[in-house]
Amino acid sequence: MSDQHLLEVRDLVVRFRTHDGAVHAVNGVSFDLAAGETLGVAGESGCGKSVTNLAIVGLLPKPAGRVEGGSVKLQGRELTTLKEEELRQVRGSEIAMIFQDPMTSLNPVLRIEEQLVETIQAHREVTKEAARARAIDLLAAVGVANPESRLRSYPHEFSGGMRQRVMIAMALALEPRVLIADEPTTALDVTIQAQVLDLLRRLTEERGTATILVTHDLGVLAGMADRVNVMYAGAVIESGTTDDLFAKPRHPYTVGLLRSIPRLDGETGGKLVPIEGRPPDLIEAPVGCSFYARCAWRTDRCATETPALAPIDGGKGPIVTSGPAATHVVACFNPVAPAEVAEGRPLPRAGGATQ
Amino acid sequence: MGRYIVRRLLAAIPVLIGLSILLFAYIRILPGDPCVAILGQHRTPEACAALISNLGLDRPLWEQYITYLLKTLSGDLGSSVVNSQPFLAEFLTRFPGTVELTFGALLFAIGVGIPLGRLAARKVGGWVDGLITGVSLFGVSIPVFVLGLALVVIFGVILGWLPTQGRIDARARFDATSGILLIDTLLAGRLDLFVDVVRHLILPSIALGSIPLAIIARITRASVIEVANEDYVRTARSKGLKEKTVDSRHVMRNAWLPVTTVVGLQVGGLLGGAVLTETVFVWNGVGRWVVDAIQNHDYPIVQSTILVFAVIFLVVNLVVDVGYALLNPKIRYQ
Amino acid sequence: MFRAALVDPQSARVSRGLWSDAARRLRRNRPALVGLFCITLFALAAILAPVIAPFDPYEMNGSSLDAPSLTHLFGTDLLGRDIFSRVLYGAQISLFVGVGAVVLALLIGGVLGAVAGGFGGRIDGIIMRATDVFLSIPSILLAIGIVTALGRGMAQLMFAIAVSYAPTFARLLRGSLLALREADYVVAARTIGASRMRILVRHMLPNALTPLIVQATLVLATAIIDIAGLGFLGLGPADPRTPEWGTMLVDARRFMQTAPHIVVFIGGAIVISAIGFNLLGDGLRESLDPKLKR
Repeated sequence: MSDQHLLEVRDLVVRFRTHDGAVHAVNGVSFDLAAGETLGVAGESGCGKSVTNLAIVGLLPKPAGRVEGGSVKLQGRELTTLKEEELRQVRGSEIAMIFQDPMTSLNPVLRIEEQLVETIQAHREVTKEAARARAIDLLAAVGVANPESRLRSYPHEFSGGMRQRVMIAMALALEPRVLIADEPTTALDVTIQAQVLDLLRRLTEERGTATILVTHDLGVLAGMADRVNVMYAGAVIESGTTDDLFAKPRHPYTVGLLRSIPRLDGETGGKLVPIEGRPPDLIEAPVGCSFYARCAWRTDRCATETPALAPIDGGKGPIVTSGPAATHVVACFNPVAPAEVAEGRPLPRAGGATQ
Repeated sequence: MGRYIVRRLLAAIPVLIGLSILLFAYIRILPGDPCVAILGQHRTPEACAALISNLGLDRPLWEQYITYLLKTLSGDLGSSVVNSQPFLAEFLTRFPGTVELTFGALLFAIGVGIPLGRLAARKVGGWVDGLITGVSLFGVSIPVFVLGLALVVIFGVILGWLPTQGRIDARARFDATSGILLIDTLLAGRLDLFVDVVRHLILPSIALGSIPLAIIARITRASVIEVANEDYVRTARSKGLKEKTVDSRHVMRNAWLPVTTVVGLQVGGLLGGAVLTETVFVWNGVGRWVVDAIQNHDYPIVQSTILVFAVIFLVVNLVVDVGYALLNPKIRYQ
Repeated sequence: MFRAALVDPQSARVSRGLWSDAARRLRRNRPALVGLFCITLFALAAILAPVIAPFDPYEMNGSSLDAPSLTHLFGTDLLGRDIFSRVLYGAQISLFVGVGAVVLALLIGGVLGAVAGGFGGRIDGIIMRATDVFLSIPSILLAIGIVTALGRGMAQLMFAIAVSYAPTFARLLRGSLLALREADYVVAARTIGASRMRILVRHMLPNALTPLIVQATLVLATAIIDIAGLGFLGLGPADPRTPEWGTMLVDARRFMQTAPHIVVFIGGAIVISAIGFNLLGDGLRESLDPKLKR
């Protein structure tokens, strides 16, 4: 790597051992994250988004889940081979996480104070009083009124939105470089979602925290993310800046995703189009393109060969993997043409493309 | 919190009333002439007359019940038809023995069951887990008296390591103030006798404690596994807490909750099992007394023992519920 | 959002119906198969006792307290009776009384639980308080009380054990019925105007039976232990010569020092049958719970 990224994930492979065989949860995921950048990750449930994140911080459910290949580097330091104690020091202080369900992500029998203070004290040699003062500041920063008295509360005394604010305060307690937010607003009311997202954006921008924002809500990504990775069946199948991806989606799956969200401006003709079929069973090792079975653009080649991520227009110049000038890449042998996006189906092509 | 305790106390009242009706009915539904049924071979005209006036059998039923209730509440729990001794006096001399045995069994069940459950949960599906599951299966499948007899044969008869009968060396002489020998021997400053009491207590405790041990180990295992999969445990790990902290503060603090409830529920089984255990180990407690009472058809003794054991069970579970509430802030603040 | 438009990948696994699914999983559950084996052994011993037993369990067929030999596999007792034959006939008694007690308990508890959970309201309150009363008495003590009052005998034994387990069944059935009352398909049935009774019988009871079956299997294990316990306390069958396991242990105990094998054989018979029902019950619970489906 010429210039070092904050976080570099290369060819990450994760398998789960189950009674029915090994589940190929993540199959060679690579991406980079630059400092201060917000990377959105989209895809339907079970596509490997969350598993990838858990693998980064070494929190795969034991003993079923294992990283079987690839590397994760944080500022050049390999994480997948770290000892548990070294990895523990990374978690929370350098890479922090926020999870989907604030109702279950806080320990019900501990006061908010204990949960915030223990986080700080796990990484910093500070007195309880100092940690407590810091906790009060944090609660104030995430917009909890009367932080001093609320510190004495138990999680069940907070609403869902407030709990997620507490989770954010906890995640940012040690000013981590990377924040992984896994569907942080999915479980919240729509009105609360916007508030929490605003807060998250404000705090990460102020602190320059790089963020991986996982969501299946493309609307959220459009407003929050600098870049987007679209994942399918344990692999990134399209990646680019948010603008590129929303304006010129090239992978048939991305097109399907975009066409299946309701849009107020009616650009897609107002009709919601589901993607037919279901994702492949990850128990079988993938052969060919994983989207083959559901794809309207498929060719014979797609059944046997697995497409790799490649620049959309045939690779002019070096591939940029992060920042506002990131190259738009797609893993598809027969990408969707711009004119086909609105139609949602392949159109007859001049010159007889490989149909 | 105070309101919670009051509510739990109030909820116990209908159960106590039901219990009193049931046991009131018990003596009166015995088939045949009550005099014959209750006194049996101890029947004399005088005893018969005394019994009828004592139980008020010549009065209307509701009046009999009120009398029974008032007597019971004032601590008059009837008396033996065999030797006319009042129930309560005899019960109180026997009860410390049963308390000691139950305590020993519970200590064994908790002290071994919880670590076993935690160990099994840590390595789910491993051979340790399998072994512990097997042991707990054996524990719930072997009757206390069979296990008791087996222990007597192995450790008493064959190996000769431990005493198999009684609560203490019969030749021991010292002041028994509380009746609980573990305390009395210490109060008397007789460490040698204390050790002797402990040695007497070991085998009966293992026999009686085996079922609760199995149940506690199972529930601990299940509870720890369930809590370990909770989102907040993942949160705790993602914060970079030490594994020890995750385990003690996040997993166990929550896993205790169902375990405490189950421990409370074991007390009923222990009091029942004490009847059999005391018989096997010739243990001087309420259980052996009841067995004698059964053989002598001494119904008032059986009746009042059931009452007292049921009340003890209710009280213990009330205490456990309050403890549960103290551990669980969700209930504490309701 | 768009998730609703996509197919849930979890539904990909095909279900073949609760019972055949359960049977398939049960066949793969080795402990449950061991349990089934123990139960078969126990049931065969009970049913075929008159055929297999080499001797009459009531008659003297050898000298007193013979050691195990080819003629007397388990030896003989004080009165020279063949212990092997007595253990076989003992299985008959345990099976008969145990199954009878559990069936009776299921009937009593089932009716009470169905009424309480199906109708709710005041009747539910009364039934639940009543079960509280019975559950506050240690079950073996309750059985002791009943047998003491009714006198010794197999029917009394059966009734006593049934009464001590009926409240458990009642609560269990009521609990599942209450949970089912809110289930979507029951609400659906209610909205299309199905009668209360029809909903209870057609929609709720069949679904509430699963935990009851599991519990009944586990209770069979405790029932067998309790029968022996009562026998051991002298509350077994009216005829003291009856080869009931608990009653036999009273005698065996007297010769524990000289002939410990008697305790081992009788105790072993009890333990094997109890383990059988416990293993099968656990296996059934695992395989009947669709949530555990993998």
